[in-house]
Amino acid sequence: MVGEIVCRDVVKRFGARSALDRASFAVRAGEIVALLGPNGAGKSTALSILATLLAPTSGEVAVAGCALPREARRARRHLGLVPQQVAVYPALSARENLEYFAALQGLAGDGARSAVGRALALVELADRADEPVARFSGGMARRLNLACGIVHRPLVVLLDEPTVGVDPQARERIYELERALAAEGAAVLHSTHLMEEAERLADRVVLLDRGRVIADGTTRELVERARLRPRLVLRTARPLPGGWADGVPGVVADVEPAPAAEPGATSERSAVLTIDSTASVPAILERARAAGGEIDDVALHRPDLADVFFHLTGRALRDDDREPAP
Amino acid sequence: MIARALLASVRKDWRLLARDRIGLFFMAVAPIVVIAVAGLSLASLYGASPRGDTAYVLPVVDEDGGELGATLRRRLADEPAVELRFVDRQAALAAISRREAGAALVLPPGTSAALRHGEPARLLLLTDPVKYLEIANVRNLVQELRHAVGGEALDRARARLERARAHALRARQRMERLLARVRAELERAAAEGREGRRRLAAEIDAASARAADVERRLRDRMAAAASERSEAARERVAAELEPLAQFLRDVARYRSEFDAWLMAARAAAGSFADRLPAPPSPPAVPPAVAAFESGGAEKLADRLVGAPAALGGDAVDWLPPGELRGILSLPKVPPAVATAVPSAEKLASRLPAPPPAVRLPRLLEIDEQSVTGAPARLNTFDQNVPGFSVTFLLLGMLLGVSLGLIDERELGTLDRARATPSPVGALVVGKLLVRFAVGVVQMAVLLAVGHVAFGASLGPEPWALLLPTAGIVFAGTAFGVLVAGLARSREAVLPLGSIAIVTMAAVGGCWWPIDLEPRWMRQVALGFPTTWAMAAFNDLMIRRQGAAAALRPTLVLLAFGTTFLVLGVPLFVRRSRPDV
Repeated sequence: MVGEIVCRDVVKRFGARSALDRASFAVRAGEIVALLGPNGAGKSTALSILATLLAPTSGEVAVAGCALPREARRARRHLGLVPQQVAVYPALSARENLEYFAALQGLAGDGARSAVGRALALVELADRADEPVARFSGGMARRLNLACGIVHRPLVVLLDEPTVGVDPQARERIYELERALAAEGAAVLHSTHLMEEAERLADRVVLLDRGRVIADGTTRELVERARLRPRLVLRTARPLPGGWADGVPGVVADVEPAPAAEPGATSERSAVLTIDSTASVPAILERARAAGGEIDDVALHRPDLADVFFHLTGRALRDDDREPAP
Repeated sequence: MIARALLASVRKDWRLLARDRIGLFFMAVAPIVVIAVAGLSLASLYGASPRGDTAYVLPVVDEDGGELGATLRRRLADEPAVELRFVDRQAALAAISRREAGAALVLPPGTSAALRHGEPARLLLLTDPVKYLEIANVRNLVQELRHAVGGEALDRARARLERARAHALRARQRMERLLARVRAELERAAAEGREGRRRLAAEIDAASARAADVERRLRDRMAAAASERSEAARERVAAELEPLAQFLRDVARYRSEFDAWLMAARAAAGSFADRLPAPPSPPAVPPAVAAFESGGAEKLADRLVGAPAALGGDAVDWLPPGELRGILSLPKVPPAVATAVPSAEKLASRLPAPPPAVRLPRLLEIDEQSVTGAPARLNTFDQNVPGFSVTFLLLGMLLGVSLGLIDERELGTLDRARATPSPVGALVVGKLLVRFAVGVVQMAVLLAVGHVAFGASLGPEPWALLLPTAGIVFAGTAFGVLVAGLARSREAVLPLGSIAIVTMAAVGGCWWPIDLEPRWMRQVALGFPTTWAMAAFNDLMIRRQGAAAALRPTLVLLAFGTTFLVLGVPLFVRRSRPDV
């Protein structure tokens, strides 16, 4: 296991509860890795350990080649933390916030000014640099939050759910920034509980549940590894008779009623079929019409990370579990 | 790295503070407003403002119309504690009923006359007992007035008696001067008598001397005459006896020559000498005759006639010494008579005694002496300016330090800073340094405004105020850290901190003099930094003491601050651990 970020068999306990249970993963330079999991999965604990804010109970952790917590001070020079909350001073301007965090990173003089200017340009806040942050929109504040974490061009960037409460446009801008950082060679670890975000942004996904890494790989790899297949959901004007899809090529699983899509709808008017490939969809639709059901709606659902998670844990990804308190 | 982080933190917190208009208002304007309101409201705690802007209204009903009313008006004209209003009794009662006044003073008819004639007199004080403090102050003023009027009456009586005594003394002095002149005349007459006696005695002595001289010359002349006569007689006797004397000398020579011849004859006879018959013996010369031979004729004459002196003396023995002066009968000077003029003291002692000094009974006075250096009349702002400045300083620290630290925690900037190579302590220290500096400036500004606007004292050494200021600012800053460590959230700071600060300020003597509190509460107050700060400010500003008086309280305040930091920093660090 190699990379700018390395966690090996990391355990973190708060009392009797384990926030991390032998968690292992790595992030290489130039790579964006999504740390995906529901609330309480241990994402923030993992980021806190990597950010040198917490010491692991056991296991090996290294950031930018520095073993933690022994070499925490040296590791911090290469570390950029973007907290979940907007950790900037609202009364200060964007420039002043950046100057302050640049100084804490050891930058001074022209180097600091240059770094601040570059960060402002990177997050497209140069024209608003001298306004108090309190006047910024949520998206601008989030971009500044990101800029404060990367003003010193760190080798490792840790982002803890950086798009929470951000509109889609601003979210896209943040994704672009992360990609730019990775393109510059930074190892980016992006913590999120949004499956879509992980799928869209990350080169690789580490699925975390109850402190354990339950899967690690690209989305495709995870889906394939879970042997998940597409599903076809049909809604018909009249209920379909039983066994209506028997013998249709490509249908893998038995027909099952779909969950009610809207109030008042009956499950008998819907059906979900697990299929081998999308090539069998026309035949299935033809069979349904032939069975007397006038098709009102058709939806094809490809397997995603939520399916993988459900497959692995038996629970939905967005269950609102709580993490144990320290 | 540490210095850079510290500087960045200081700069950041300074900017945050400068943009916090509410905070600046709270630090600067709000304390001044409260100080003004509280100072004017509590002015009567020390009697009244020296500027006279908190004077009580005192209706005065002068039914007497005498000099007492004039005295009252004159004496209280410059008294800042009261504003006199001369009204009738109905108006005075109405003023009390309307609560314009807590007391009214009535001068009943005849009061001045009674005082003038030494008769009992009483004043009447109409009061609204609810206005206890006002009544106490007015009563005190009336007592002072009553005391002054009594003192003036005694002074007048004493002056009259002193004048009478001085008159008697002057009469006695005139009598003494007259006696002195009489005595001087007598002394002069006595002196003249003594001079006459002296001159008379001298004249008698001169006459006596002259008589003695006459007697001596007479005696000398008589002695000379007698001597001449006896000398002549002696010479005649001597001349007569000279042949006899010569004969006797010849006899003596013959006998001598005969003896020599006899000796020679015997020698010639040799051995037959013894056969020579003894020569016949010459007749013996009688001794009386023999004297003629040895003494000569003059001695024989002296023996027979006597020595010439003896002859002269004997010649004047008929005149006994002093006989001639007795014959002259010189008068004797009578003995001096003792002067009968009595001494001045004796004369004065016979005069009537001077009148004794009159000692009228005096009113019992109280000499009030400030042993602490505090002036007799205090400015209530000397208490209120430092008291409310300390209160608002601590509240400012609560908002600035406690909320500032919790904001850093809740904003996530603290965690972000902890993830940097800079020590997080630099962030905290930078914040505390800024707040400390701002606190010192805040206190200095408030004390300066108090001095300029309200006349609050800065003591003999204004710079010494920096000592307790630095102490309480340090303690307040550290207290802010402690509250930040104790409070779970921003919302918990105000209930927790404000209760503690209000309690410390009230019990510690920031809002009223601590001496108003019971003893046990004053003992409890020693556990609060506000108590020590106010002790130092009171010593410097009210008791006008030097910097040395503030050293111990300042050290105690520094100890408080250190204790708060020792407790607060670990608590804050513990609370600031990531909540994951």
